Amino acid sequence: MIPRHFQITIALVLLAILVSGIIIIRMTHKEEALTLQAAEAAPAAPMVGGKQEHIQLLLAYDEDQALRWRSADVFLPADRNLRARETLRSVLAQYLQMPSPHPLAKGADIKDVYFISDDTMIVDTTAQFADGHPSGILLEELTLTSLIETLTANVPGIARVKFLVDGKERETLAGHADLMSFYQTAAVHKLAKEFE
Amino acid sequence: MRWSKTGAGLAVVALCCALGVSAAAPEQQLTVYTAQTSYSLPVVDHGGKPYIFVTDLLLPLGTSRPTAKEKDWRISVNKTDLRLTAGKDKGTINKQAVDLGGKALLENGRFMVPMDAVLPLLGRLLNTTVDFHQTARRVFVGDTFTRFTVGFKNGDQPALILTFSQPVRASRSHQEKRGVLTHPDTTTLTFTKDPVVSELKTQQYGDGAIQSLSFSEENGTAFVTVSGNKPLQLVQSDDGRTITLQPQAPDVSATPIPTQPGGPSAEGQKRAPEFFVMIDPSHGGNDKGATFGGKLVEKDITLRLAREVRRELEERGIPARLLRESDTDLGLDRRAEITNEQHASVYVALHAGRPGKGVRVYAPLLSDAQQQQTGRFLPWEAAQSGAMSRSQNLARVVSEELKKKGLTVASMAVVLRPLNNITTPAIAVELAPDENDLQSPDNQKRQANVATAIASAIVQVRNQIGARQ
Repeated sequence: MIPRHFQITIALVLLAILVSGIIIIRMTHKEEALTLQAAEAAPAAPMVGGKQEHIQLLLAYDEDQALRWRSADVFLPADRNLRARETLRSVLAQYLQMPSPHPLAKGADIKDVYFISDDTMIVDTTAQFADGHPSGILLEELTLTSLIETLTANVPGIARVKFLVDGKERETLAGHADLMSFYQTAAVHKLAKEFE
Repeated sequence: MRWSKTGAGLAVVALCCALGVSAAAPEQQLTVYTAQTSYSLPVVDHGGKPYIFVTDLLLPLGTSRPTAKEKDWRISVNKTDLRLTAGKDKGTINKQAVDLGGKALLENGRFMVPMDAVLPLLGRLLNTTVDFHQTARRVFVGDTFTRFTVGFKNGDQPALILTFSQPVRASRSHQEKRGVLTHPDTTTLTFTKDPVVSELKTQQYGDGAIQSLSFSEENGTAFVTVSGNKPLQLVQSDDGRTITLQPQAPDVSATPIPTQPGGPSAEGQKRAPEFFVMIDPSHGGNDKGATFGGKLVEKDITLRLAREVRRELEERGIPARLLRESDTDLGLDRRAEITNEQHASVYVALHAGRPGKGVRVYAPLLSDAQQQQTGRFLPWEAAQSGAMSRSQNLARVVSEELKKKGLTVASMAVVLRPLNNITTPAIAVELAPDENDLQSPDNQKRQANVATAIASAIVQVRNQIGARQ
């Protein structure tokens, strides 16, 4: 015959093990969910390799209403698509830091770039890039000119560039700069000279 | 062999007859007249009932892009939502039911509604009065009517003088629809683009050279028919408001309608185009543009500035029109279409934006290849190619005038819609208001100075632009 107090102790120990188990399982699930959510929120892009290069970025400075060349060390892959994407991202990274010479909305990013011919490239941006962009002719032109000119300086052979927003065409960036047309990089080069 | 030849012959005859019949049958159309524009859309028969495509009806009015999800369809006009469902005879406008007079149909991804739905749809979406001449298929939005009075001069040289409340002019793209058809005893004036209406049905003038005048309307078009016993010649005044019909001199009766010095030509009454400026107060409706100080929005600044520019121009004797007079949505393509359709002499888009405190003047930017586009048909994105140098000249003169007013001015060429889609000299002017003191007298004065400078610059380039046109 097992004493009554011993039975109660065993029961309590088993109950404690059961409760602890449930708590541990729920904590594990919550952690997994958070990890998954974080992974989904991040832009879906392959890991970038490549070697570090010293490249030139044409950056917008709102206060001066001008574009200026700045150098930066960026890891650039050999693949032409990835190289173009990382070049554009390095420009946006400058605008997203604090303080920014040309503030853009949080989440502004390049989702993907692809060539539809040897000299024509499509740049697909995140929705935040356009939705949160400050409205104004000058501000919008500075953004696009900065991106296109930096791109052509670091990825040779691009004659035409078109921007998409979240995979779709949009009339304008934030009410002004044209996003329906293909930008001719030669014409943008002339404009960039006016801003420099 | 003989049979096959006969068969081929019959087939050719049958084909010719079929083509003849199809060519003879005019396309059924509905014409909509608004204060800004007029346009025609096809009417298609469905089960014996006339139907129209909703996008044909609403997109020219500056709506948002329609969105469709399976059988449901949605479009926004002036902050008002229209929703339709295929197979249902009722839609909703801002969640309130609207009777379509028949089932909405989905055909090849496009929504159709019965033609009778035009009246409730336009009336409630535009929140204005709509007059629908149903049998003639003519829709008048707001008070857009062009009326006319008739004066008859009897004597040796009888004449019929039609005086219109608004100028009546041919649209270049629709010249074949409006013109003068003359037979020995009948002259018919055809108006498709002009909202010409009249209470008059028939008026008799005796049995001379001019015997009667009648007004009729059908298939989206108005007709004024004058009968007599002689061919009539037509003279239109320079302001486009008066048309005089009088018997032709005997020696020129062989030609359908002689061209009068200073008057209209025989084909479509081509007149030297009137010089006028199209002012575009950018944004409007749901599109607010930039926001200043949390309260003031670009669409309001541009409308106020546009009215000021128009006043300054009119004080200098230059007619000016605004692309929008109120807080309405108007798409970028539609702004270019209206400007091109109305043959504006100059287009000026007004904007307000950060940063800085001065004014920026923008000319269109095209690549070298786009600038070399020539010919009668140009790509939409390079429609400006023929006017580039004049646009650059206009931008330069406006900049100089702004500098004379003591304003800080930057001038550059940019890829900005709809400048590149406009066939006439086009610029954009962006005012950078002082955000810290938006309502100050200094800010108001700067805005007035901008309006004055734009008007002065246009006066300077008027002769040059007018002469080339």
